[in-house]
Amino acid sequence: MEILPVLNYLAFFMVFAGIFAVMALGLNLQWGFTGLFNVGVAGFVAVGAYASAILTGPPEPERFGGFGLPILVGWLGAMLLSGVAAFVVAVAALRLREDYLAITTFGIAVVIQLVATNAQGLTGGPFGIQSIPRPFVEALGTGFVWNLAYLGLVALVLGLAWWALERLVASPWGRVLRAIREDELAAASLGKRAAAFRLQSFVIGCMLMGLAGALYAHFVGYIAPEDFLPILTFQIWAMLIVGGSGNNAGAVLGAFLVWAIWSVSGNLIREVLPAAEQARGAALQVVLIGVMIAAILVLRPRGILGERATVSRHAGKD
Amino acid sequence: MTAALEMAAIEGGYEPGLPILRGASLSVAPGEIVALLGPNGAGKSTLVKAAAGLVPVWSGRVMLGGRDITGLAAHRMVHEGLGFVPQTENVFANLSVLENLQLASALVARKRRLDLGRMFELFPDLDRQRKLEAGRLSGGQRQMLAVARALVASPSVLMLDEPSAGLSPKLVGVVFERLKAVRDTGVTILLVEQNVKAALAIADRAVVLVEGRERLEGPAAELVNDPRMAALYLGAAA
Amino acid sequence: MLQLVADGLVVGSVIALGAVGLTLTYSILRFANFGQGEFMTWGAYFAVSTLAFVLAVTGGGVMEPLGPFSFGWQLIVAMLLAAALTAILALVVDWLLFRRLRRGNAITLVIASFGAALALRNLVQFLYGTLPEYYSREIQIAIRLVPRDVMGGLRVTPDQMLVIGLTLVLMLALQWLLTRTTLGRAMRATAMNPALARVAGVDVEGVIRATWVIGAALAAIAGVFVGITLQIRPMLGFDLLLPLFAAAILGGIGSVRGAVVGGYIVGLAESLSVPLVGAEYRAATAFAVLIGILLLRPNGLFGARA
Ligand SMILES: Nc1ncnc2c1ncn2[C@@H]1O[C@H](COP(=O)(O)OP(=O)(O)O)[C@@H](O)[C@H]1O
Ligand SMILES: [Mg+2]
Repeated sequence: MEILPVLNYLAFFMVFAGIFAVMALGLNLQWGFTGLFNVGVAGFVAVGAYASAILTGPPEPERFGGFGLPILVGWLGAMLLSGVAAFVVAVAALRLREDYLAITTFGIAVVIQLVATNAQGLTGGPFGIQSIPRPFVEALGTGFVWNLAYLGLVALVLGLAWWALERLVASPWGRVLRAIREDELAAASLGKRAAAFRLQSFVIGCMLMGLAGALYAHFVGYIAPEDFLPILTFQIWAMLIVGGSGNNAGAVLGAFLVWAIWSVSGNLIREVLPAAEQARGAALQVVLIGVMIAAILVLRPRGILGERATVSRHAGKD
Repeated sequence: MTAALEMAAIEGGYEPGLPILRGASLSVAPGEIVALLGPNGAGKSTLVKAAAGLVPVWSGRVMLGGRDITGLAAHRMVHEGLGFVPQTENVFANLSVLENLQLASALVARKRRLDLGRMFELFPDLDRQRKLEAGRLSGGQRQMLAVARALVASPSVLMLDEPSAGLSPKLVGVVFERLKAVRDTGVTILLVEQNVKAALAIADRAVVLVEGRERLEGPAAELVNDPRMAALYLGAAA
Repeated sequence: MLQLVADGLVVGSVIALGAVGLTLTYSILRFANFGQGEFMTWGAYFAVSTLAFVLAVTGGGVMEPLGPFSFGWQLIVAMLLAAALTAILALVVDWLLFRRLRRGNAITLVIASFGAALALRNLVQFLYGTLPEYYSREIQIAIRLVPRDVMGGLRVTPDQMLVIGLTLVLMLALQWLLTRTTLGRAMRATAMNPALARVAGVDVEGVIRATWVIGAALAAIAGVFVGITLQIRPMLGFDLLLPLFAAAILGGIGSVRGAVVGGYIVGLAESLSVPLVGAEYRAATAFAVLIGILLLRPNGLFGARA
């Protein structure tokens, strides 16, 4: 067996795991630290991916966009646009019962999926957007070295996101967030300010998801609506729940672990099942994720790492 | 003689490791009205809720007419003959007066059921409001309905948590008169009260709970002027 | 125009049936059940199997259409069996999952329902495949009720009329159950105040089981209705989930009557929006309704209490 394909696959795997980890960090800020239930992760990821693709891609006659802007601009645009989408959702749902946010985020993800599939002039429709620029590709080619370089980039973004979140969470802002989550009285006494804090947390979390979407788009080079199906949301949730919400290390660990389980089981299905049965096998794989979410909630509600001990004794009740 | 209701060395609380009841005991003889008194936060509500099966009992016993009912599910208590009227939200606000009583009546065995007609005789105010949503009753009528709802299951012992709360002094008098009438039909009553004077006026005996334990008990007539009463209330406040 | 209204009423019937189950579980179990749509899907597919079973047992394996309808009496039997099986499925999921999480935070239940929905949906796909199925291949002749030159005309199939009619009957029956029976009063009492319900002698776990049975059975029937009027697909229930939530919130969550009215409003809105936004964005209408109601009247059209 040659070593290079294995290494290449490993780099590939790590890039994806890293991108998922950024999404999981965003979700952790929302759910783990603020108690906001976001079921539209895939939608916000899609907004980021499409935004960056449209901003940075080459012009195409049939489609809006293709501004050919620098990739960094695309990423900032991705964060901005998913932040705006998050803001709209939050304004409608955040002041209401907590499960209304779940329903609304679910809804926006459905609508974003519809737009991605149908707004040909913007998103390319079912075929999506091709030839999204990949950074450094002129210098490095598309081989192993490039994969490795992109892995470095993802690691950098992940590290930055981690660092920023740790600082945020430890800051007075983060302490207020936890107080709001754990203590309804504290939340009530803060009143409108509490709503503002939750909104900020929700928007920042979604911006991270949008950034992750952009990272994905520029790695793969093309995106299509089926990259952002609800299953993506489930995967990120599984990652957070497995790793342990309320803990950034847990979120990242969960991302790598669940992605490993997912990849291995996916490969297994491809190897073992005949071509005709592959679709059914894939369905079974998703059943596995669903059962895993449910089982961990029942058996080990704090995940593998659980919430860090700095948090008060109420933590387990969430 | 077996007590109608006896609680012995009850320990319990809402969260493990945070005991609210620390060995509380009390006993109510058949046909008695016993007032359960004590400063705010003493655990009076928690004690009656524990007896009713709404708060976990970690140790100790609850005996009803000599039968051990400790730890039974709350809805089973009704069938055993223990009635409970919580302090707040004690009627189904979205059901009519009649439906409140019909539900309570339908849930117990036929031979336990009290005739709804007789209930309306006991509480004529309610009779006129049969079709009204319970949430729209006045405070006093709501309290009557809560008592009536519990009585429909013909309990041998009725526990009430602060039935005078939020009522005008006149209404308190009316409600307590009804309670006496209820006792005269043979129902034993355990009455949690903040309103010490009113409670001691109708009670035969009283128990004072402080920090989850009974600290004083005796005939109501004697406790009215007992200086230790004031001390217990003040001590808890300090 | 008339045609769109009629189509909206058919879809609205399905949404209403599903939303009633959603609102019941919400008011008694106190969480938004993302699995409600899957009960529709499972009901529709269960009926595929029970229909095959009934046809096999009654000999011949063929279904003679009943009067003007596209299906025979066997499908009615199959539908009832499917409703029973779906109710059992809901009880099993509750027993395995939700029951164990009831003491915790409500939002944990929402996440759990999310995971359960995912597993259930893909299990259907695993068991039945992704190709659309039909109960009957009979071609139905639509009856022209209004000639073409009056408001665009109106053609309705007997199946569609049956769906609307049966939905109304079911809703009246449910209304009777909730207001006239001890179970119904116990359900309303539990929704209002579970602790008091227990004190009054209500076996709350029993009420919860009854709620699952009713909600899942109605969802299953709604699923079969989709199968009769359109087709049966694994995404059938998932695609209806957003309209269900929109309908339940529109009617004021917890209100059965509100869910029915909300269901028809969402169904009509979806149908009438088709000429405006195109059929492909039909599903976005439910979202627009949802956002609108959340911004303007978050307690729903009929919800008074906050
Ligand atoms: N639902 C609850 N959960 C946790 N603690 C409670 C709850 N209800 C009451 N407590 C606590 O139990 C203690 C006793 O309260 P309670 O029994 O209501 O006292 P009382 O009725 O004598 O005023 C208080 O410290 C109160 O804070
Ligand atoms: Mg009290």
